[in-house]
Amino acid sequence: MAALLSLRAIGKSYGAVVALSAIDLDIDAGDVVGLCGDNGAGKSTLIRIISGALPPSAGEMRLDGRPVAFASPAAALESGVATIYQDLALAPRLAVYQNIFMGAEHLRRFGFLRLLDKRRMRAESAHFLARLNVDLPDVDRPVSDLSGGQRQAVAICRALRWNARLVVMDEPTAALGVRETRQVLDLIRELHAQGVTILIVSHNMDDLVAVTNRVVLLKNGRKIGECRTAAATADDLAHMIASGVVP
Amino acid sequence: MRTGLLIAATAAVLALAPDAHAMKLGIVAFQMSSETHARVANAAEAAAKQKGWEVTLLNSRGAMPEHAAQLENLISAKVDAILVAMGKPVETDAQLAQAKSAGIRVLTVMSGTSPHTLFDIQVNEYEVGAQAALYLLGQLNYQGGVLLSRFEGNVGTRIRGKVLDAVLSENTAVKILDSHGMARTASWRDDVKAGMSALLLKHQGKIDGIWASFDGQAFVIDDVLQGMGLAKGKLPLVSVDGGQEASARIRDKTSLMTATVAIPFERMGTAAVDALDRIVVQKKPKDDIVHGPYLFMGAVLVDASNVPAEGKWPW
Amino acid sequence: MNRLSEAATRAFIARYGTALGAVAVFVFFAAAAQNFLTPGNLAVVLKQISYIAILGIGFALALTAAELDLSFANVTSLAAVATGTLVHGGKPWGLAVLAGLAIGLAFGLLNGLVVTRLKVPSLIATLAVASIANGFAFMITGGVSIVGRWNPDFVFLGRGVVLGLPILVLWTAAAAALALFFLKQTRTGLHLTFTGEAEDAARLAGIATRRMKLLGLGLSGAAAGATAILLTASLSSAAPTSAGDFLLTAIAAVLLGMTMIEPGRPNVTGTLIGALIIGMLGNGLVLLGAPYYVQDIVLGIIIVASVSVSASTLTKAAFHV
Ligand SMILES: Nc1ncnc2c1ncn2[C@@H]1O[C@H](COP(=O)(O)OP(=O)(O)OP(=O)(O)O)[C@@H](O)[C@H]1O
Ligand SMILES: [Mg+2]
Repeated sequence: MAALLSLRAIGKSYGAVVALSAIDLDIDAGDVVGLCGDNGAGKSTLIRIISGALPPSAGEMRLDGRPVAFASPAAALESGVATIYQDLALAPRLAVYQNIFMGAEHLRRFGFLRLLDKRRMRAESAHFLARLNVDLPDVDRPVSDLSGGQRQAVAICRALRWNARLVVMDEPTAALGVRETRQVLDLIRELHAQGVTILIVSHNMDDLVAVTNRVVLLKNGRKIGECRTAAATADDLAHMIASGVVP
Repeated sequence: MRTGLLIAATAAVLALAPDAHAMKLGIVAFQMSSETHARVANAAEAAAKQKGWEVTLLNSRGAMPEHAAQLENLISAKVDAILVAMGKPVETDAQLAQAKSAGIRVLTVMSGTSPHTLFDIQVNEYEVGAQAALYLLGQLNYQGGVLLSRFEGNVGTRIRGKVLDAVLSENTAVKILDSHGMARTASWRDDVKAGMSALLLKHQGKIDGIWASFDGQAFVIDDVLQGMGLAKGKLPLVSVDGGQEASARIRDKTSLMTATVAIPFERMGTAAVDALDRIVVQKKPKDDIVHGPYLFMGAVLVDASNVPAEGKWPW
Repeated sequence: MNRLSEAATRAFIARYGTALGAVAVFVFFAAAAQNFLTPGNLAVVLKQISYIAILGIGFALALTAAELDLSFANVTSLAAVATGTLVHGGKPWGLAVLAGLAIGLAFGLLNGLVVTRLKVPSLIATLAVASIANGFAFMITGGVSIVGRWNPDFVFLGRGVVLGLPILVLWTAAAAALALFFLKQTRTGLHLTFTGEAEDAARLAGIATRRMKLLGLGLSGAAAGATAILLTASLSSAAPTSAGDFLLTAIAAVLLGMTMIEPGRPNVTGTLIGALIIGMLGNGLVLLGAPYYVQDIVLGIIIVASVSVSASTLTKAAFHV
């Protein structure tokens, strides 16, 4: 069976700066993969290529074995690749349910008009939140009222709304406290339990060890190797990154 | 906090409002930022207050919708009379008709006439123009060359120019050397300065007198002449309007401003209040004051012989 | 329990404080000014605010997409002189109405294109377009206003009375209802809101944010065109600067509106209440005999107060140039 997503020889240069070169990566359906490396290693660049925000300069990307070239993040979303950005990309003053359905609203017929089906969107929002075991009774509350962890939940619900098969998360636990980090890790496990494939970028080795099956290591725009997390500790990973050698 | 501010502001207003039962007059000036409008409105307000009337002075800020709205508000306020300075009776026909049917008498100053108003107080611009033109020709002893600063964008200044043309056509020994037509822009002063400076240089030595269609232009020309080092009496400079600055320049030993025809804006305001006093308070018929739709007021020629002291008027 | 109700009270004040202020202004004038509460006067107030209410709704729609439209007053004047010229020239009044609406919409779209294609910030772009509109208005008229006794059917659009109400009040209600329906019930309306609230997020979610900005500014232009027709019909005249005065008052209505209902955000209901406050003050102060400069001072205080209140929640790019 072909991998859900496979990258071959992906490269990206910004003028003279080579941000990525010759990246090969396969992600199987249902897997939880981590991506780590030093500052400037090329993690965000790789994620932006996968999410359709940035075209690669070289290489090939396949989804379900078929070559794809996303023209925009919206195009990636429609193919089932949803990205949750570092800054979350939510509209803080709008309601939880509006954020979950942003850009993909349910409509109902009203005579010859098609109007927003708010009742259905509220109900489904509550359902998505329940699927993630998140207790958020009022989906009409503005996102600005929520905690960091709850906001991550809203962002993840957006991915569920799109029926995303691959959810890409850029630093989901950065800027979160201990309790909220644990909440987000629970969200990721919950998502995984429901069969969603996940790619996580993080600087936090403990988090990666806690939720991923496998970690891909980048250094100076190159892939230096992969490591199964069942057999590794956070310190092992940090050491590999620092030395640039993967045993 | 903000509600408090609003209430404080309106409470301050309440304190300003005088007692009821007095004659209530609403005055609407079309554009208080224009000196002539303000002179009419302020003089009328002062005259009415002297009579113990309750006065509401409004400024339409030059905007028609605001002008119409203020008339409506005054009708709602059930004032006894409305005085409109430099208004637009045709545009506000509906409001004026409404005032009439509400029994509110409306008098206008320099606005034009309407079937719904008492009459309009005006100066006769043709006469004003003739006074300025004939004075200038007298100074030249009916011969020589003149420079003109014209403005075609306003009825009054246009009429003054036409009357000057008529006077010159009867006195052919006076020649127009050149004339500058002012553009209608916010920077009209620069336009007059540039245009007239060029003409002054071009005709240097041949100019016997200068005519300007209104005082504002004359002031700019006066400054140019003074800058060229000309002394008072060297060249007669004549225009029309006659505010405090015109009088000051006529008194000033260094200015070349010779004469202006002073339009009695203040007197128009007070005459309007007097007319309303007689018609509304004393219940005299309108025809006692004037027959027809216009009441013409005389303008006064002001030169060194009758220039009033600072703060005074020539009437 | 006690803390909960205190928070609820605070939330209520944040949402409805200014609306309560409007009620206070109403009660104050009803008590202080003799003729304020007469049906005739209340109709006058409602009628007078219709222009700034409709223009304000247009401005609020553009601001919903985080764009400022500072051209609407000049565009209104231009559309008014165009409409007036056609009616005055004896052309069918339906044509004149269409022309007024088309000019408004066209200038709104012009604003939108300059902002979205040429990437000129709307503060600058719409000031420039305002100057263009002003130039055309003077070109058409030579500075002289167009006045006449026009086709009564046309004049009815602005002066008519329907069901005992001034027709202007009905137009305003219709404009407000349409705008509310659009914003709250349609997908495009919600996308307009997303565009203003979180442009990057909206674009990443596949919303055509540039088209939404074009739409917001276009709608503001259309509101200017509609206002121009009502103004021209109501005054039976048009001048190249007819509507210049509305710039400040209509924006003030929107800013006042942003202090209530959906605090910090432009909203239709708030704009109507804001316009009503401004209208009541203009009318009530005259009824109390206050001189003109008091109105200017009060209006200035309102703008400062409302912006200072909404600024705390207002982090819109639009106001950061
Ligand atoms: N728009 C750009 N123009 C030029 N160079 C860029 C651009 N974006 C990224 N780079 C460069 O590409 C390289 C990879 O950057 P990238 O942001 O992908 O790193 P990262 O691994 O996400 O780092 P961090 O951990 O700090 O987020 C860096 O050298 C960076 O300076
Ligand atoms: Mg990064």
